Amino acid sequence: MELFLARLFDAISNGSTYALIALALVIIYKATTLINFAQGEMAMFGSFIVLVLATEQGLPIWIAVILGMLLSAVAAAGIERVLIRPFDPYDHLPLVIVTLGLFLSLTALAGIIWRFDPRAFPRMYPAGTAVTIGGVNLSWYTVGVLATVLIVAGLVTVLLNTTKVGLAFRAVSSNLESSELAGIRVGPTLQFGWALAAAVGTLGACVFVADPIRQLEPTVMVRVLIFAASAAAIGGLDSLWGAVVGGLIIGGVQSLLVPYTFIPNEMSLAAAVVVLMLVLLFRPSGLFGTARVERV
Amino acid sequence: MSARFVWPANSSQARAYKSVGWALLLIGLVLFAFAYADTAQITVLDNGYALSLPRASKAVAFMIAILGLQVVVGYTGQLVLGQSFFFGSGAYIGAYMVADQNWPWLLSLVVVVPACFVIGCILGLPALRIRGLYLALVTLGMAATFPAIVQLDQLDEYTGGAAGKSVSSDLVPPSWLPLDGIASILQNIPFFGQYFGEGDLTSSESERIWKFFLFVFLLAVCMWLVSNLIKSRPGRALRAIRDNETSAAVSGVHLAKDKTMSFGLASALGGVGGVVYVAELGIASPLDFTQLLAINFIVGLVVGGVGTLSGAVIGGIVIAFVPDWSASTEDFPGIPERWLAGPTGVLILGALLIILTFVLPGGVVAGVRRIRARIVQIVPVPPEGATPPPPSEGEDAVLRREAEEISAGAAANDPLTEEPHA
Repeated sequence: MELFLARLFDAISNGSTYALIALALVIIYKATTLINFAQGEMAMFGSFIVLVLATEQGLPIWIAVILGMLLSAVAAAGIERVLIRPFDPYDHLPLVIVTLGLFLSLTALAGIIWRFDPRAFPRMYPAGTAVTIGGVNLSWYTVGVLATVLIVAGLVTVLLNTTKVGLAFRAVSSNLESSELAGIRVGPTLQFGWALAAAVGTLGACVFVADPIRQLEPTVMVRVLIFAASAAAIGGLDSLWGAVVGGLIIGGVQSLLVPYTFIPNEMSLAAAVVVLMLVLLFRPSGLFGTARVERV
Repeated sequence: MSARFVWPANSSQARAYKSVGWALLLIGLVLFAFAYADTAQITVLDNGYALSLPRASKAVAFMIAILGLQVVVGYTGQLVLGQSFFFGSGAYIGAYMVADQNWPWLLSLVVVVPACFVIGCILGLPALRIRGLYLALVTLGMAATFPAIVQLDQLDEYTGGAAGKSVSSDLVPPSWLPLDGIASILQNIPFFGQYFGEGDLTSSESERIWKFFLFVFLLAVCMWLVSNLIKSRPGRALRAIRDNETSAAVSGVHLAKDKTMSFGLASALGGVGGVVYVAELGIASPLDFTQLLAINFIVGLVVGGVGTLSGAVIGGIVIAFVPDWSASTEDFPGIPERWLAGPTGVLILGALLIILTFVLPGGVVAGVRRIRARIVQIVPVPPEGATPPPPSEGEDAVLRREAEEISAGAAANDPLTEEPHA
């Protein structure tokens, strides 16, 4: 029982970080029906900026995080304008290629600027134990991460549902052409989506490496992206809360299913890919996604 | 813009042009192989760069793998990013057959090709339902899991775990091949002889030359097979699937069968590439086959040109040499040293990927073709006995004439048409 609880808490904290990156993927997918393969690297780059702000400039960590999120949002808006907008949103191959190019370039840039030695990330949540349940310590980190995900998903939902720019965003994601005809400026709206996604992604990467057992290095997000993309696809790729649920499911697969079955530990990534494949095979629109009707 | 020389395909000029091209390519390969059999240095802007045959052989391995991607991405239009999975499978199966079963390298292809074909078909089955970006995601995930799979404890005795599987090479040149003779002829060319070393080749040099030509031959066979496939009925079916799945199915293309075949073929080619890679390197280690390699293959595909066979050659050269070259570059005018010590090669590849998508979406091959089309154009000739179609008769012609008359009358009566007879 104790072991089970410990694993459950692991599942929650891992799953929540996947959920944050998955949220970023979902925001971009909602806007442009594109999976941003560079999302993990953009987030990694952002969290390096946060690290620099916090350690070299001596800012308090949460202020550094918010500044870093703003900076990534601005950078992502620029990337969208320069690299993404010139292409036809319905032709996937060039867009996938551009995001893969971004993936390579950002990893390499981070490696050039900050080198590949792992660095400790400042604590974002109080150290120690929040409560002890059934003899197992529930750390503040786990509580904090889960709270962060719920707050972020809530804020994004409120932003999209109550503000004017959110309304424009939902209109564009529902039908690009009609919303253009209705007078919505589609370009800046998509740019807003990219900026929002980058900010959420940066927060996700910071939260991920703020775990005391992890360190920040340029390749840290490579595996996380696959987990997060699986999470997003399980949730349906266009559902915000689906991404949160999907993240927790993937966290559960990694920390609960894998140890309790014959699957070796190193295969947790493979397990996530298999889950992703099964979901896509039997429920292509995920658990909460809108089913797309194709017109022939 | 019309070309400077326009030759019909059956003219003697066109034939001479083609054969001169092939002969130059062959001579170039021979010169290259003998000049760089030893680890020779090429100097670019004061930077010594060891360009040697083993690196070129590695490039050939990549070319074969990218050729596989051309089939599935370029011609069938499926976004498959996980070619490193099959490259790695081929490498490990080949290494296992040679090291543990004592098979000769070339014979191991007999196992690798069907094995990778079957793996590709099985993993391709979900792709019949998963499309577009989702397929890209799943295949990238597969590529990411490959290192973990070969490091499984259960597979340790076959794959050698984290340390990798090393094999020795049995690819020695046959004794009837006069490699030393060719070397001495080349060495006696006035002025240029100095670039070909001195005296007889050492055994490792002649082994490298033999391997290089063997691999190039394998590549040529693969390219020939793929080009025949593309020009035949199944190849046209694949291109029909790429252009529009629904209309392909309506025209009688068996989507499931042809897609699965294209997956299997791509993986088999990836496997052949993997065998070449291990035969050259002598070791298959898990970290050589990560998703970074998978993305590099995509770089090669795009840089060379998606949907072109010769693009695979250029792509292989780019992804084999650019990272190596930048890694051995220590100073470069105008670039701080700190940058050169980092992963500059990856940055160059990433930037290339983005820039080419903007300026030259068809890759290097499209650019070369555009330039060549201004100089030489070979136009196809109609088959013998064919004449231009006669003006059609019957009901169709009557209808057309009526339509022309109506539109001419409409133009004449239209007050906005100023000069109906002009």
